[in-house]
Amino acid sequence: MAEVESPLKLSGAPPPPEGVGGGHCSEISTELIRSLTELQELEAVYERLCGEEKAVEKELDALLEQQNTIESKMVTLHRMGPSLQLIEGDAKQLAGMITFTCSLAENVSSKVRQLDLAKNRLYQAIQRADDILDLKFCMDGVQTALRNEDYEQAAAHIHRYLCLDKSVIELSRQGKEGSMIDANLKLLQEAEQRLKAIVAEKFAIATKEGDLPQVERFFKIFPLLGLHEDGLSKFSEYLCKQVASKAEENLLLVLGSDMSDRRAAVIFADTLTLLFEGIARIVETHQPIVETYYGPGRLFTLIKYLQVECDTQVEKVVNKFIKQRDYHQQFRLVQSNLMRNSATEKIEPRELDPVLTEVTLMNARSELYLRFLRKRISADFEVGDSMASEEVKQEHQKCLDKLLNNCLLSCTMQELIGFYITMEEYFMRETVNKAVALDTYEKGQLTSSMVDDVFYIVKKCIGRALSSSNIDCLCAMINLATRELEADFRDVLCNKLRMGFPATTLQDIQRGVTSAVNIMHSSLQQGKFDTKGIESTDEAKLSFLVTLNNVEVCSENISTLKKTLESDCTKLFSQGIGGEQAQAKFDSCLSDLAAVSNKFRDLLQEGLAELNSSAVKPQVQPWINTFLSVSHSIEEEEFNDYEANDPWVQQFILNLEQQMAEFKASLSPVIYDSLTGLMTSLVAVELEKVVLKSTFNRLGGLQFDKELRSLIAYLTTVTTWTIRDKFARLSQMATILNLERVTEILDYWGANSGPLTWRLTPAEVRQVLALRIDFRNEDIKRLRL
Amino acid sequence: MRSSWTPLGPPVSQDRIITSFPKWYTPDACLQLKEHFHSRVSTACQHRNTGTAGLRLSKVVVVGDLYVGKTSLIHRLCKNVFDHDYKATIGVDFEIERFEIAGIPYSLQIWDTAGQEKFKCIASAYYRGAQVIITAFDLTDVQTLEHTRQWLEDVLRENEAGSCFIFLVGTKKDLLSGAACEQAEAEAVHLANEMQAEYWSVSAKTGENVKAFFSRVAALAFEQSVLQDLEKRPSTQSQVGDGDGDLIRIEVPKTQENKRPPGLGCC
Repeated sequence: MAEVESPLKLSGAPPPPEGVGGGHCSEISTELIRSLTELQELEAVYERLCGEEKAVEKELDALLEQQNTIESKMVTLHRMGPSLQLIEGDAKQLAGMITFTCSLAENVSSKVRQLDLAKNRLYQAIQRADDILDLKFCMDGVQTALRNEDYEQAAAHIHRYLCLDKSVIELSRQGKEGSMIDANLKLLQEAEQRLKAIVAEKFAIATKEGDLPQVERFFKIFPLLGLHEDGLSKFSEYLCKQVASKAEENLLLVLGSDMSDRRAAVIFADTLTLLFEGIARIVETHQPIVETYYGPGRLFTLIKYLQVECDTQVEKVVNKFIKQRDYHQQFRLVQSNLMRNSATEKIEPRELDPVLTEVTLMNARSELYLRFLRKRISADFEVGDSMASEEVKQEHQKCLDKLLNNCLLSCTMQELIGFYITMEEYFMRETVNKAVALDTYEKGQLTSSMVDDVFYIVKKCIGRALSSSNIDCLCAMINLATRELEADFRDVLCNKLRMGFPATTLQDIQRGVTSAVNIMHSSLQQGKFDTKGIESTDEAKLSFLVTLNNVEVCSENISTLKKTLESDCTKLFSQGIGGEQAQAKFDSCLSDLAAVSNKFRDLLQEGLAELNSSAVKPQVQPWINTFLSVSHSIEEEEFNDYEANDPWVQQFILNLEQQMAEFKASLSPVIYDSLTGLMTSLVAVELEKVVLKSTFNRLGGLQFDKELRSLIAYLTTVTTWTIRDKFARLSQMATILNLERVTEILDYWGANSGPLTWRLTPAEVRQVLALRIDFRNEDIKRLRL
Repeated sequence: MRSSWTPLGPPVSQDRIITSFPKWYTPDACLQLKEHFHSRVSTACQHRNTGTAGLRLSKVVVVGDLYVGKTSLIHRLCKNVFDHDYKATIGVDFEIERFEIAGIPYSLQIWDTAGQEKFKCIASAYYRGAQVIITAFDLTDVQTLEHTRQWLEDVLRENEAGSCFIFLVGTKKDLLSGAACEQAEAEAVHLANEMQAEYWSVSAKTGENVKAFFSRVAALAFEQSVLQDLEKRPSTQSQVGDGDGDLIRIEVPKTQENKRPPGLGCC
């Protein structure tokens, strides 16, 4: 290698190309170099070796450049040497201190632990001594308190004794003073029994004498003696007696009251109200004392006892109510009357009115009372249940539901409401039937009296059911009202419409409508006329029109009734009556009611179709047919004459206007508008038929176009419906009849139709073209449409 | 043109999805023997073309003597619970159970009535409009079976003839041995045929047959509902097709140009 390198330096070889580099050792072995014989190969190897030399030189330069840095760092380290020596010494010193501290802490901790143990034992000894002293103190105290009749203090001592841990008492029996402790314990137990007997006796005396302060005094002592249940039971017994005596007093007042009194009709409801208010007041008054001295969750027990008495008193009041009002007897009569083939004595619905009102009032007060109880008991349970398990909470909820839903009060009210529903159904049905029988028509009115009467009755009955605050009752009444309106009342209207609008000849119709108006005028003097006696054709016509108005108003009234009930019940539900289920139940029944509104609307459409076909069509058809008697194959002279004296359309419009005006006076705006819509459809259909039977020339087509425009312009003014669509076919026929040439149709057809959508089929187009007497059939057939 | 169907209401739980027609309990007393939906119903469901049936629900009224287990039966279906403590139903209770039948949401509105005589007046006001009547009796008490006749009469009186499916259901199946059960069922099937009702035996305590029974109820009611809707539709469509302007108050301006009526030839 040395020989090889020396010549390189001496010869001054050129540098290798960029990118050539090598490792620390040459990749070319010496043996390979020696074996080379070709000049070209030798030159290649030479180039490579030069490149490797350059790379090695670069590496050496890089290493040498670091010399200064390393030397400076070595100087720094050398300078730090003495400082490190110091640090080592300090570290060793610190380690020693920590070791010392650790052992010191261990020693101190050990001593503290011993001290703590001694303290605990000392504390236990003190506690034991205190407990023993407590026993003695209690024994002495209870004796003194009993002598002084300070029962609260005596109970406090017993309470304290009862709170002592039993194991402590056992421990205190050991030792040389054990026998004395036993004696003391025995004395305490005897004192406890004595005090229990005394408190019970004193409480009984206080209740007998009606001494409320004393009653409350001893009521507070029971829980101190561990007699929570006894205390609540005895106290409840006392309260129940108060409820009973007050209720009896109220009932006697009722039975002796004057029937002319303003509240006579609801006297039993008032009595129940007094009962409920009395119990509510008792709960209100005594809840604080129960909470304070007996703890949360105990109110339920108190109310449970009270409810038994409430049930007893309710039964008495309701039995008196049933007897006094003949409630069951009336129910049986109603039940037999409701069977439509009944031959029993007919009961006057008006007589039921007061008792129905009273029953719903009774139920409403019951519901209010039960909601009050539920709210109070739930709140009381919540206080105690806040830390309890879910099972305990559910158990409490179940107990509460069972008490409120299955108590005799609830069952009794359900029975009363059950009877009420049947009687209210009878009331509604009979009163509706009476309203229908007494139906009258007042001049100037569009409807007869039965509509307002019927809906007043329905609203009253549902309102009364609503006032009961019972969702089942309300929903039942909505169901019954739905059936009454749909099955019974709608049938009445349906039968009237089914008789149809009397169809007569043209002259008779004109005279008939005029006569109907005259009858209405004559009613001005009489004020009203009775629709029951309708016998003549004219009266039948008026009856038909009035019934149409009735049907429309019924449909509207049902929608209004639904909205009213929705808002009323929103208030009811917000007061907490019923839950999610009650809401769903109500919504379901209400949607059934709303469906009846649609059925009345359907009936109205049927009636209008009948009116259109029996009254409008027979009259309109002849008028349209006169179109045929007017020639539409005319010369210039005739065309000008028609312009001055229209031969058909003006008279036709005048006739239509007169006819519809007479209906307008007797129909509501909405119905009249619908009838007008039907009329315009009829005109369009009939006129199409007539045109297809006519013949035209150019001027005749022009005349027809003018006539059609006049007609459409008039009809547009008398209806709110759009009629352009109905007359589209006729307008297109007019367009065809105004063509100059047969081939001109191609300017409007197919690709040329533009915004026009053809309602006429190609066959119909040819048919209309053929109406032109001046068009040749061959030309028409030759068209390709 | 009907807009595409979109699901409404809360999602239906997995065990309330019915894809094929549920089977009867016994062929001796059933309302339909076939095991498939009516072909028109299947087609309508596949094309989501069931009209308003998808929004509809069926009213189911449950009646029967007190203590036969009407409420327990319904609670087993709707809440999957059984309460061992008896509590008489007061008035009327109400539950809605949602199903998905052949891809269409459908609900049963179940009215649970009081079986006590003294609460009958309230309950009877809810009978009207029922699509399904379920009369329940206790398999261990033959008298309750006899009374179902009267219960059914009471409900039918409030409904149009032929408008209801009728089911006779025997409860407390778990309390009977095999032989006793067969005997009770034989009597019940006989009565069911007189009533033109379908018979099922169930147990609310164990849950046996409860889900299958109500699936059957839902499917039958659903099929009937769709068929009725399909029958109404042709006349409705023809009315719309008449082009009667009465239904259009506001005319939509036509801005399309060069529109060609379908079916017309080119010139």
